[in-house]
Amino acid sequence: MSKSTNLVLLIDDEPKIRRFLRAGFELHGGFTVHEAEDAAAGLRAATFNAPDLVILDLALPDRRGTEVLELIRSWSNVPIIVLSVEANEEEKVRLLEAGADDYVVKPFGIAELIARSQAALRRYFKSPNENPVVVAGPLSIDLVNRTVLLSNNQIKLTRKQYRLLHVLASHVGLVVTHDKLLEEIWTSSVRKNIQYLRILVRDLRQIIEADPNHPRLLITESGVGYRLQSRFEDVSAGSSVMRLD
Amino acid sequence: MELQIPVFQWFAKASTAFIKNHGGNAAPANVGFPLHRFLLANAFPLTMSMLGVGLATIGLLLIGRFSPANLVPIVYLIPVIVAATRWGTSAAIAAAITSAAAADFFFYPPFYSFRLDDPRAIVDLLLFLVVALVSGELASRLRSETESLRQREQELQHLYEFSRRLATCFTVSDLISAIQNHLSGTLGRPTAFFFATPDKNFQPEPAGAVPLMVQERAASMTKKIGLGADTIRDEATESVWLLRSVTSDDTTHGVIAVHIGSDSRAVIDASTRRIEAILAEASLTLQRLDIGGAMEEAALRLKDQLLRDAFHGNLSHELRSPLAAIRGSASVLESMPSVRNDNQAYSLVEAVTDEVERLDGFIGNLLNATRVSASDVRPHLKCADPRDIVNAAIRRRSRQLAAHDVRIRFDDDLPMINVDSALVEEACGQLLENAAKYSPSGSTILVNTRAAWGRLILSISDQGVGITPDERQQLGRRSFRSLRHQASVPGSGLGFWIASTFIKASEGSIEIVSGGQGQGTTASIILPEAQIEEDQSAGPADE
Repeated sequence: MSKSTNLVLLIDDEPKIRRFLRAGFELHGGFTVHEAEDAAAGLRAATFNAPDLVILDLALPDRRGTEVLELIRSWSNVPIIVLSVEANEEEKVRLLEAGADDYVVKPFGIAELIARSQAALRRYFKSPNENPVVVAGPLSIDLVNRTVLLSNNQIKLTRKQYRLLHVLASHVGLVVTHDKLLEEIWTSSVRKNIQYLRILVRDLRQIIEADPNHPRLLITESGVGYRLQSRFEDVSAGSSVMRLD
Repeated sequence: MELQIPVFQWFAKASTAFIKNHGGNAAPANVGFPLHRFLLANAFPLTMSMLGVGLATIGLLLIGRFSPANLVPIVYLIPVIVAATRWGTSAAIAAAITSAAAADFFFYPPFYSFRLDDPRAIVDLLLFLVVALVSGELASRLRSETESLRQREQELQHLYEFSRRLATCFTVSDLISAIQNHLSGTLGRPTAFFFATPDKNFQPEPAGAVPLMVQERAASMTKKIGLGADTIRDEATESVWLLRSVTSDDTTHGVIAVHIGSDSRAVIDASTRRIEAILAEASLTLQRLDIGGAMEEAALRLKDQLLRDAFHGNLSHELRSPLAAIRGSASVLESMPSVRNDNQAYSLVEAVTDEVERLDGFIGNLLNATRVSASDVRPHLKCADPRDIVNAAIRRRSRQLAAHDVRIRFDDDLPMINVDSALVEEACGQLLENAAKYSPSGSTILVNTRAAWGRLILSISDQGVGITPDERQQLGRRSFRSLRHQASVPGSGLGFWIASTFIKASEGSIEIVSGGQGQGTTASIILPEAQIEEDQSAGPADE
């Protein structure tokens, strides 16, 4: 991140949720927090306070959250992370297509939200002359020279495998929808065929994952898309109990 | 003329037959009605028949009198048959008599006179009359039979459409409007259907198209059994309503009210008789389609829908918002150094998180159950990797599985499956949760995913309490919980029911195998493999 502190705008009508979000962001360090309790105040703050990150609740009293999302997106590229009680997959895809950078489903832990926020900020502040190497666990992807190192050994990928990894790496830590991936990798004629994407992901996992059956880098977001995990802890946090066969 | 009397009776008989075939657009005529009334009603067909005879005469005159004499009766048969096939018996008789008269006048000597000198000519003409009347009658009978066949076919079509519409009705008011549409369609009159609710009231007509008096009468008819039919004359508008109750065995399902109109007495009498006949048929139809059952189901569905909407809309939001605040606050506490370094505080915060997640899972189950109750689990089928589904299900239940040794095994070369991954993941999670609940801590749960015979088999085996044959039979029921565990293991009994419904919606099945009490259980989800489209040129593996 290029700034020492980032301004986070919280738009949520529940004071108790705002309270813990503020505490979480401030405790983590590197964030200053501005709160808005409804869509009107949120839009005003998004215009005048120039936040670096917006956390947007979808259930607001005065306006639908999706409208607020679209309004902000009509003039700003600021990273937006959506909070929703709805775990419906189509809804998630719709939000991502409407311009949300990522989503978190309530109830959630603060660590999850902060990890997503940092990933979104990293992408937002990335300048062209910065180091173009994305590191994800043992994997490092040089987006300019198009080389991929796995535990410091260069690996060979097919053009489509590299393209998939490239798109995910340029959104490292963030979810990328199936449609977006299909669009980036294939020509229009087969764009709607998700089967190709599944097979390509399976092939890529065979190469980059230590155990392709239990991927820890290239994560499936069921019904939505894929995510390249930037750190291992995020994945294993919930599943540390697993003992693999 | 002596001939006139039998002919007039023929006319009268024909006219009633005609009314029966032709329906309400013809004015009514009873036996013994004055002739002019009949002529008025049938003016068009009669005139057309005469015109046909005229045309035949002109044709014959043009050919000239040199044509052979036996051509005359044959040519005159043409207008008779045409009249019979188009307008029925009466027109055919009229055409036959006119033809005989015209033949006599123009073509039998002495010409231009109705006198007949030659006895052979008399025989000729009489023979012609007999042949014309018989063939006319035959042709008109054919016509009426075709007509009634066509009508029967149309009725069947109506009935078919009606029963299909009934099947798609979601609410009682949908159902009533379907019945009204059907009745209006078959009767050709504005029709209202009053539905009798279980508390012996009736569903009020919202449109206001039905006079209050008729509504009140219908209401009293829905309350009393055995009051079959009634006719009401609305004094204000002079219009007549016909009411008939639809009953089966001992319940009244509703009352049909038909607006007959405000025509003259005779017209009303005729349409009443016709409508009575159709109504009898219609109420039979309604009984046959088990309208009572459909009504009940629609009402139930409506209630279900309301409950589900309430739960999905507000309740789940209201329940989940405080949970989100608790869960979030606990997670912030957990990350605070002062709590992190204090084992006691840390474990308390962890307990809060665990319980919130359990509660959230329970709300999720209820949401799923309401989805299932409304029986509209609509799967969104998409190609998915079974490994992703299994891994996600295990990750989602990691808290419930924490005390067990979970072993995961995947076959090499697993096929893709075409399923709604959210539904299969939830079903798999429910089975995992059950495995963990009903087996001792520290025991092994084996999750094995393999392909066989074009199917994907995902089995979850535990070393737990097993299932007795008795319990097996009850397994698919909602809220079934075995008596053995009701006191010791918490649960709602919804889990397996949700799992089996979701898997059914994905065109798969669940198999439960258990050696019996204490022998462990293996639950297997069986799903069809996705058909891979082989398209090498565009495939993912090129280059």
